[in-house]
Amino acid sequence: MSVESCVLQGAEAGGFILIQDTVKCTGRGLLKCFINAALKRGEDVHVLGFESPETEVCAGLDRSCVQKLHFHKGFPDPLGWTRRSSFTVERFASQHITQLIKDTQQAKASVLVVDSLSLVLRHHDPLVFCQTLQELRKGGVIKTIIGLLHSDLHQQGIVGIVCYLASTVISVAPANNERHSVAKTTRRTKSGKVMQEEEYFSVCKDATLSVQAKPRQPGHVQKERDVSEADPTSNLTFNLRLSEEERKAKEKVALPFVFSQEKKSALLKPTPGSGRIVYEPDDNDDFDEEDPDDDLDV
Amino acid sequence: MFPELNSILNSTPDSFKSSDFILVSDRRANASFLIQHYLAFYLRAGCKVCFLGLVQSFSHYSAVGQRLGVSLAQAREKGQLVFLEGLKDSIGVLLQEDTSHETQPLSYLRSPGAGLEGLFRFVERSMRQSGDGDAGESWGPPVLLIDDLSVLLSLGVSVGAILDFTLYCQATMCSELQGNMVILVRCEEEDADDDDDEEGSNLLQRGLVHQCNLALHVEGLPTGYCRDIHGQMEVWWRQRGETIYNQRKIFHFKVHDKGASFFARGTSSAVL
Repeated sequence: MSVESCVLQGAEAGGFILIQDTVKCTGRGLLKCFINAALKRGEDVHVLGFESPETEVCAGLDRSCVQKLHFHKGFPDPLGWTRRSSFTVERFASQHITQLIKDTQQAKASVLVVDSLSLVLRHHDPLVFCQTLQELRKGGVIKTIIGLLHSDLHQQGIVGIVCYLASTVISVAPANNERHSVAKTTRRTKSGKVMQEEEYFSVCKDATLSVQAKPRQPGHVQKERDVSEADPTSNLTFNLRLSEEERKAKEKVALPFVFSQEKKSALLKPTPGSGRIVYEPDDNDDFDEEDPDDDLDV
Repeated sequence: MFPELNSILNSTPDSFKSSDFILVSDRRANASFLIQHYLAFYLRAGCKVCFLGLVQSFSHYSAVGQRLGVSLAQAREKGQLVFLEGLKDSIGVLLQEDTSHETQPLSYLRSPGAGLEGLFRFVERSMRQSGDGDAGESWGPPVLLIDDLSVLLSLGVSVGAILDFTLYCQATMCSELQGNMVILVRCEEEDADDDDDEEGSNLLQRGLVHQCNLALHVEGLPTGYCRDIHGQMEVWWRQRGETIYNQRKIFHFKVHDKGASFFARGTSSAVL
């Protein structure tokens, strides 16, 4: 299940899509793609915006569907300090959210988007938070929940709990290539089957997703080959190349310390008579043909 | 104010980006010279500055400011600079008899668990007051400077409370009033065993990086001490909402008596 099909089709009823990001790569662009795709499908989208202003979340969305988008202002007052928000983090409970959605005119199955779950987790007990999410999924008023979580701001255990609740987890990370990011999608179907996929993606200005080629296996990380390998024997004032005959002659040369077949046979079976010594006496040499040991009585 | 830093960041007192949240952080180094730079920068630009000086006295900043060519005392008198002297005021807060003033700026000293709402209200009040100087001149966009935020961690304030405070400051200063924010955070060495960095300065720094537009991180040179290069500074241009195009560059710097010089790696004047 690629991230593109996830965005375009949404999840099945009762689904919870979690987008995980870190400081190195933000997931808000991907969140915007989900919102845009849901609006284009004609679904009612309710955004609980705690961390970003409405202008930022709505920038680039399709203008024709914007009336189906309901932005509940958490930001700029998510905790109620200045009494200017319509929905504070405290009210993140199933009864309040359900009421909020029922208060809008069409109470069709809606999509709930939370930006971000990190802020909610900072102010709610994790167990209560999980219970709220489960109640919202089973409540019937909400078709899909999409949440953004900053995974490097929480303990691993907490991140694990939220991932376990999710039917789809998409982790974004930077890629070697600066123009794209990597999205790792893990999807759990109702039958229990788990599908994983890793892709390059980028977010366009009109909040649509553009998915590029999938990265290879880890260990074969390939950077784009923009520059072809340079030939070192070109552009020189001397010749480093070989002609055909020269190459053949070079291959024929027997290397000095290579233990070849000929050398091996020569060492193992010496031909008879090859060890004969031939002595040519000089003029000054006193060469006596007699055997000096002749008078020994041995 | 450091001219080389201005050209790296492509901003001058006459033209700079508004609604910017700049995070200055350091690890085993001292990045407070950057706070001095921004203080001089925004005072020269004619902005109304709210400075939360939690770790040094006013005279310290004033003395350094003199060397950079700005007079803090004058700015405070004119009403351009609102200075919260954390060290001096904290004694008064700790020794006072009644605890009724919960929304005082330094109320976190008595009840650190209650959060930083009081401090935020102080910032909001000083920024929303109409900038009427002696001559009735109006100041430029408001600017909040904090030196430094990580000291609150050692006073018992939780990371979550500090992140809430900066979120509110950003909402008011940057989104609503179109002003800027510069915050200094000092990080500790990352402990390899410490996986659950629940209440650490590193967690705070990560949370602030998520929120900011520009992150300047100062560290010593990875190769060790050098007389001519005092450290390296990493500039991370972040665009909120954009998945990619985050640009990071590293520069070397040397701090002088009256400023600091920045240069690309390997181009120190001692080397060339």
